[in-house]
Amino acid sequence: MSTILETKDLSIAFGGLKAVQNVNLYLEHGELVALIGPNGAGKTTVFNMLTGVYVPTSGAIIFDGQRIDGTPPDRLTRLGIARTFQNIRLFHDLTVLDNVRVAYQVNTHHTFIDSIFRLPRFWKEENDMRDASLGLLETMGLRQFAEEKARNLPYGAQRRLEIARALATRPKLLLLDEPAAGMNPQETRELMHTIEHVRKTFDLTVLLIEHDMSLVMGISERIYVLDHGQLIAAGSPAEVRSNPRVIEAYLGEVATDALA
Amino acid sequence: MAQNSDKKRVHFWWLLTLVLFYALIQAGISSGLIGGFYENVLMNIGIYIILTVSLHLIIGITGQFSIGHAGFLAIGAYASAIVTMKLDGPFYLAIIVAGVAAILAGIIVGLPTLRLKGDYLAIATLGFGEIVRIVLLNIPYVGGASGMRVSHMTNWTILFVAVVATVWVIYNLTNSAHGRALLAIRDDEVAAESMGVNLTYYKVLAFAIGAFFAGIAGALYAHNFYQINPSNFGFLKSFEILVFVVLGGLGSLSGAILSATFLSIINTLLQSFPDIRMILYSLVLILVMLYRPQGLMGNKEITDIRLFSRKAREVQER
Repeated sequence: MSTILETKDLSIAFGGLKAVQNVNLYLEHGELVALIGPNGAGKTTVFNMLTGVYVPTSGAIIFDGQRIDGTPPDRLTRLGIARTFQNIRLFHDLTVLDNVRVAYQVNTHHTFIDSIFRLPRFWKEENDMRDASLGLLETMGLRQFAEEKARNLPYGAQRRLEIARALATRPKLLLLDEPAAGMNPQETRELMHTIEHVRKTFDLTVLLIEHDMSLVMGISERIYVLDHGQLIAAGSPAEVRSNPRVIEAYLGEVATDALA
Repeated sequence: MAQNSDKKRVHFWWLLTLVLFYALIQAGISSGLIGGFYENVLMNIGIYIILTVSLHLIIGITGQFSIGHAGFLAIGAYASAIVTMKLDGPFYLAIIVAGVAAILAGIIVGLPTLRLKGDYLAIATLGFGEIVRIVLLNIPYVGGASGMRVSHMTNWTILFVAVVATVWVIYNLTNSAHGRALLAIRDDEVAAESMGVNLTYYKVLAFAIGAFFAGIAGALYAHNFYQINPSNFGFLKSFEILVFVVLGGLGSLSGAILSATFLSIINTLLQSFPDIRMILYSLVLILVMLYRPQGLMGNKEITDIRLFSRKAREVQER
């Protein structure tokens, strides 16, 4: 096992607001790790730093042996980090197939000259792209929607499409930002199976942000808990569940008293 | 395999239609059946199709709201006029120079305005168009306010080739991985960037290619009239092209072509009523926007209607 992602004293401040402070976390290759915390704890901010949307104020992010803090999102995608969004951000006016194909093109090499003049490289890579994308849709159970516009998909399918789109970039590390938000328990269970499945199939490392603690307990190998921008706990699901600071963060002090 | 031969058949019919159309008009012009007036209408339509389709790439496909397109037109017009009139160069060279000069301008506009969105980009590009006009106005070499005399060199053959090349290039670009990247930028920049789309590269690409064809249109435009001066390329010109794009339906290539043709014809017909021309023209625009707010074609293409099964086939025949 080797470390694929590591942060060192990762911090960011917006004006006077210290949104995230001194976060140290690591992911081993092939792990499924969850980052949880109450609303506003800074989970998505951490995500946005890992994916290049925000540049950290201080600290370092090391991915696959190189420092990546400050690298723009499109370069990170090429290095092998893919993500989904908490509030679904599909390309709504494109078809489901095209949504996946947009992401797949990081693996292609033909230039716009090849495209304009329809040179052989264009045809070869377009064909590969279509086959691979349709294959991915099949895996995610979206094959029948291939020609639908993304905006017309049912909610759960849109969430799955976000994952399919992220997978199309052929990532080493997949970051999922509240993939089960807005899903009912049945859909959530199915989604968790899907995540397990793609993780094994594509040999992925997964970092999962979740708001709902019960949900990640089942599938995560390790859990980090974030509150007010700081890590307050880390460990196996069982350890985290019984950690008094975690209970306090989630339930408040009064409730802790009640439990005691 | 079936799909490939199908594609070839479609290509063949397209080619045949184009050649026949070209030959028919050419015969009409050489036999005198299509007189000077109608030939001029054709020139107008062709030039506006090139302009509209090139702006369609920037606004309709990439979603970058640019209203300085007349600036690229002006640069193409003046660059080509300098080559033919001042340097005695051949016309085809002038067309290429016009395109290249406009590309450079496109990159110069594209790079600093990349971070701007929506209204802000519109204002910046509007500023660009005005800068080009004012600069031309103040260069004595190109005649300042009185402009330049240009020989008439644009003919049906050159126009036809230019229009077909423009539509072909922009169609091919749109229907490729690169076109999908542009569409992704239009739909959601943040998501596009997260999927590995390099925003800088693609926005500059769209501006450069759009500018290239606007520059070519400029060369054809300059050599169609006998005189160009900076007032031909004011804000109203940019606005006119923008209206064509919106009226055709944002994102629809065939819509852009249709609206450029339709409005050019209306514009010409209305020239018989000079007093109320602009009133009637504006009325047409208002009526179209009232009854077709999504533009003539919406975001659909003509082929969606005629060969509606084609896209479905792409999936089935995997």
